[in-house]
Amino acid sequence: MSFFLQFMIDVLSLGGAYALMALGLVIVYGILRLVNFAYGELIMVAGYTMYLTSGFGLPWLVMAAVAVLMAIAAGITTDYVAFRPVRAKSVTAVLITSFAFSTLLQNAALLFISPRPRNVPLPEIFSETVQFAGVITPARNLITIAAAVVLLALFSWLMRRTVLGIAMRAAATNFTMARMLGVPANLIISSAFAISGLLAGVVSMLWIGRIGAVVPGIGLEPLLIAFIATVIGGMRSLQGAVLGGFLLAFMDTTLNFTLPQDLLKFRDAFTFSLVILILLWRPQGLIRGPASGQRT
Amino acid sequence: MVKNLTTIAILSGLVLVVVVTTNLLGVRLFDRIAINLCIALVLVLGLQVFMGNSGILSFAHIGFMGIGAYTTAVLTIPIRMKGMSLPDLYPIVAGIELSPYVAILIGGLVAAAVAAAVSYPLMRLSDAAAVITSFALLVVLHTVMTHWSEVTNGPRTLFGLPRATDLNLAAGAAILAIVAAVAFKESRTGLLLRSSRDDEVAAGAMGAHIPRLRWQAFILSALFAGIGGALWGHFITSFSPKAFFLKETFVILGMLVIGGASTVTGAVFGTIIVTVTFESLRALEAGINQAKIFAEQVVGLTEIVLALAMIAVLVLRPGGLFATHEIGAILARRTRKKENG
Amino acid sequence: MLEVTGLQVAYGAIQAVRDVSLNLSEGELVTLLGANGAGKSSALMCIAGALSASAGSIRLDGADVTSARPEVMARRGVATVPETRDVFPDLTVDENLQLGAYTRRHDTEGVAEDRAKMFEMFPVLAERRGQPAGTLSGGEQQMLVIARAMMSRPRILLLDEPSLGLAPTIVDQIFEMIARLKAYGLTILLVEQNASKALAVADRAYVMRLGRIAAEGTAAEIAAATDLKALYLAG
Repeated sequence: MSFFLQFMIDVLSLGGAYALMALGLVIVYGILRLVNFAYGELIMVAGYTMYLTSGFGLPWLVMAAVAVLMAIAAGITTDYVAFRPVRAKSVTAVLITSFAFSTLLQNAALLFISPRPRNVPLPEIFSETVQFAGVITPARNLITIAAAVVLLALFSWLMRRTVLGIAMRAAATNFTMARMLGVPANLIISSAFAISGLLAGVVSMLWIGRIGAVVPGIGLEPLLIAFIATVIGGMRSLQGAVLGGFLLAFMDTTLNFTLPQDLLKFRDAFTFSLVILILLWRPQGLIRGPASGQRT
Repeated sequence: MVKNLTTIAILSGLVLVVVVTTNLLGVRLFDRIAINLCIALVLVLGLQVFMGNSGILSFAHIGFMGIGAYTTAVLTIPIRMKGMSLPDLYPIVAGIELSPYVAILIGGLVAAAVAAAVSYPLMRLSDAAAVITSFALLVVLHTVMTHWSEVTNGPRTLFGLPRATDLNLAAGAAILAIVAAVAFKESRTGLLLRSSRDDEVAAGAMGAHIPRLRWQAFILSALFAGIGGALWGHFITSFSPKAFFLKETFVILGMLVIGGASTVTGAVFGTIIVTVTFESLRALEAGINQAKIFAEQVVGLTEIVLALAMIAVLVLRPGGLFATHEIGAILARRTRKKENG
Repeated sequence: MLEVTGLQVAYGAIQAVRDVSLNLSEGELVTLLGANGAGKSSALMCIAGALSASAGSIRLDGADVTSARPEVMARRGVATVPETRDVFPDLTVDENLQLGAYTRRHDTEGVAEDRAKMFEMFPVLAERRGQPAGTLSGGEQQMLVIARAMMSRPRILLLDEPSLGLAPTIVDQIFEMIARLKAYGLTILLVEQNASKALAVADRAYVMRLGRIAAEGTAAEIAAATDLKALYLAG
């Protein structure tokens, strides 16, 4: 019983983090139909902000807030640098410019900070362990679950109950029609990137909390996770992204427990094979996104 | 037909010019750059075969380069050295030592076989999902290369490949790649694939089974990548899985995008331009570091410039320098215009 | 109120609209007729701001709005109902209407009032208010998009082929609606293929052919014109 509980907590906390990662990616994709390859770098920016602000004796929450703000700023900057100039031209162009921007940011970190890992301060509570019902788990996991629940609820409220959210959902289906109703395109797009940055910033705090240090390439794994979760969930469905995140976490955790020791290092290859099987069965993902007659 | 032959002739001619010039100059450094250029041509042309015709961005290409490189390594590292380089290698292959020329081909075929086996599901995905999944495929290939120590020596450097790639071999491969790329583009498969980009329904009505067409193009492109990787392995003689990941992906993508993904001419010109720029920047970086202008070593400057260049090209000429017409077609039009008046 | 002069709209190399000049006075219902492909919708979409003009000018109350973006046109009181209807299928009927009032979103009382009015005018929508708009029938969707357009209290309504794909009885209902809106004093530009229905409600009409205006006049004049068929069939 306690094993089951342990397993559940692992899946829920990992899944929460994965779901937030995926959501940050889908919110831009859903509205703009554009994949943001520089998304992982938002996590990197937040991490390095924490590193750079760590010498001033500020309380952790303040540093975290600043880091999240920097992630939001970086998200909006990505729009202006990599998306706006080429948005009208072609989908491929945007994929490549965002990939280029990602390389730019990583190499900037390499050049101006360091290629070596830099320590990121963590609040003590992250490493404290909690015991209950025969389960021992770092407090960080429970905090992650709580953060995921809060953010998902907030996000859902935003999308359903606010004019901005309704406008964003409309824009995701038919941007031109939304504009003909008076919805300002630029506001919607900037909001999407800002929300994406917010989610990335929070994920960064939780994700780096597992490692304790930041490197220029730290965004790769979350990017990949967000990508896969989104593809399994169905490219443009917000609920799909969340579901995909939890499913991926479930697969990863199960494989962690079941793979023999010497195959464990190939875990990602196994996960990917499972994903390929899912895609063989349902190429459009598990949940259908907003109806649209356009080319995805 | 004439236009295609003109294109092939001009592009191959460029390669020959590079070869002759390098031989005349006789500088070792230029030798290295020229060989790398030819190998890059093989890789980028392979990418063009898939991306240019299907319209889908593939990030997995460099992974197949790695497959080609490691396959040829296992087959050609001298048996006595295998004990040191790949101590855990399976006995079946430990006793094999083939000629590099054969092994390079086998490298390409193995890469193509892997592509055939794993990639079909990707071809049914929507464009964006296919791109993302190709990215994941690259990561998986990289993971396998990094951890399959029996075959790759794990994350460590694998050494001992015979140095079989000289300028003539590389140039020959590049020219063959040019011919093959043009031939595929104008083949029935290539034409159907390109037409499916503009209108999937119409193409389907003509009998095009789009996932299968894409799959065929992908396999061919993996063949190029495998051969390119094997060639590179026999040039550099030692490498690690790190050589087959994002940085290299970024560079070949840059070459193709700047030149123009839809045309073979674009692939060739893009490769040449970026290689020249790259090497110049590298030299600059080295110069700066040697002169100790900055306190720390300057690293990553080249990639930053390449990234900015890619963004600039995409803003100004989204299709690349040669966005729609091959050079054979461009010249044919110019001559016709001159004739007419 | 609305003055269009020498409008040209191109899709890449294809000229959809070659030279269109028309005007609309306050309170008028003007209909733009023509066969398929004549360029009517392109002209309408350009006025709405969704397509860019390659030449010509569009003036609203004297102000130049030729290159105005769709959201700007909406703020200026131009409401558009495109040919493709474009309900937001995953949003409920309610949410669709709420979004229609986006430009007035701060006037919560006024918006609630208007929504009640819409539900009165279109009882079918009231029945289905919580349903996703994608589950509505074609006729119901048409009513929804007209109601949605009205939620912004527009000064001009641009209607593109509201009768397209609908059964004759529903078409009658829609045109009854349009006549009622005109009676309220709304200025309407109606693009239609169904010439007889359109001319029955319109004050004036233009006939487009191959991207140009081939005939104009009062509704009665155009209805009586004998070469109408020729204009349609010729292109």
